[in-house]
Amino acid sequence: MGVAAIYAAVHDLDLDIDLVERHRSGDAHAFDEVYERFGELVYNLALRLSGNREEAADLTQEIFLRVYRHLGSFGGRSTLKTWIFRVALNHCRDRLSRFSPATLPIEDGMEDGSTTLADPARSPEEMALAADDGRRVAEGLSRLPQVFREAVVLRDLEGLSYEEIAEVLGTRVGTVRSRIARGRDQLRSLLESGYEPSRHH
Amino acid sequence: MNRHVTTEQLSAYLDRELGIAEMRHLDAHFNACSDCGARLVSMQRVLNGLGRVQRAAAPPAIAQQIRRQIAAEAATPVSPLRRLLSLLSGLALQPHLRTSAAMALTLVLCISLVGHGVGGGEARQQKEKKFVVETYPGAPLSLPRTKSQVAGREFVLTEAGWVQLGLEGEQPGALVDSNSPEGQALLTEYSDLEVLLADGSPVVLRYNLETVELRGPHQGVRMLGFEPQPAYHTADLRLLSA
Repeated sequence: MGVAAIYAAVHDLDLDIDLVERHRSGDAHAFDEVYERFGELVYNLALRLSGNREEAADLTQEIFLRVYRHLGSFGGRSTLKTWIFRVALNHCRDRLSRFSPATLPIEDGMEDGSTTLADPARSPEEMALAADDGRRVAEGLSRLPQVFREAVVLRDLEGLSYEEIAEVLGTRVGTVRSRIARGRDQLRSLLESGYEPSRHH
Repeated sequence: MNRHVTTEQLSAYLDRELGIAEMRHLDAHFNACSDCGARLVSMQRVLNGLGRVQRAAAPPAIAQQIRRQIAAEAATPVSPLRRLLSLLSGLALQPHLRTSAAMALTLVLCISLVGHGVGGGEARQQKEKKFVVETYPGAPLSLPRTKSQVAGREFVLTEAGWVQLGLEGEQPGALVDSNSPEGQALLTEYSDLEVLLADGSPVVLRYNLETVELRGPHQGVRMLGFEPQPAYHTADLRLLSA
């Protein structure tokens, strides 16, 4: 970690502690700031884990209510960001394991869940090129096993470091490294196999 | 390096998460090995795709809805115990105040002991006079219970500490220290349990298909308002106000 990164981390921690203290002392704006800083991150995490905008909105709301209730007990042993991600991930796991179907629906009006597999008309080269199509990748991501999807989403979409992900997932950095690698590799195989996302109706 | 690059190495290489020496080894290998070079390009393409996944803006209605619910909660009175816990947590957050927080906790403990132990006999007797306990066979048990909903489960405060609803009286099959790796894993999975541990009570819950007792660092230290309820070994008790 470079000096700039260390400085940024210390700055973030100071900001975190300041926010939590203001929240404890009854400053209503403190929680607004927490939401401003992390609302979109949590919403996108919920969206990628649930695969559904409506569900993601409900999850985000529930997560921030939990954050509000327990923010006063935040002990500063991790950053507020990893603490909130941990609350968010636990809540998503709880909710989605209870209500989610075996195959996750897909976002943006593609929620019929239907999937067409290999298109014989496409050459391997075309399939490979399609691997960097964001929409296709997003849908492929929703097909990954949960543990790999969580790791890849936290790393490649939320931009967390390996150490931060280990903290969020409560596991070792080595495990994180392995899950990210296997998740990406499965996604690559899926995309290069000619997997096609479901289409709009 | 003659062996092909593993998937894990490839992924870590793209994240620049390897040491300088290993990065250089892999650079050389990718130049020499067309198979691994092709895998690198392929994996890089997936990462590019992940980078193109659009981020969505959170609908503004979410923030409004959260504010409404918070306002509704704020209208509900906060218990003095929660205030005390919040206050001590706040002190513990600042390193230079941690000692003060620990001293405050000790003070609270002393007050608790004096109030309910050695010198508090008279006050306790007065308090006890307010209740008449009547027993008769078949009477329903009706005791005030302190409950808390944490990590999606309901816990009740008993003489054994916080016990997950439904597990009262059950003998835990394992003891988990919150500072042990297992305890840390449990707290990471259910971080809200720290709220219950904060008062020094153990927490009994179902975890990995068995009943376990989780003990925090302040085990044995109870804060005011968290005195254990008396042990009732019969269901034939009914609490009546005088």
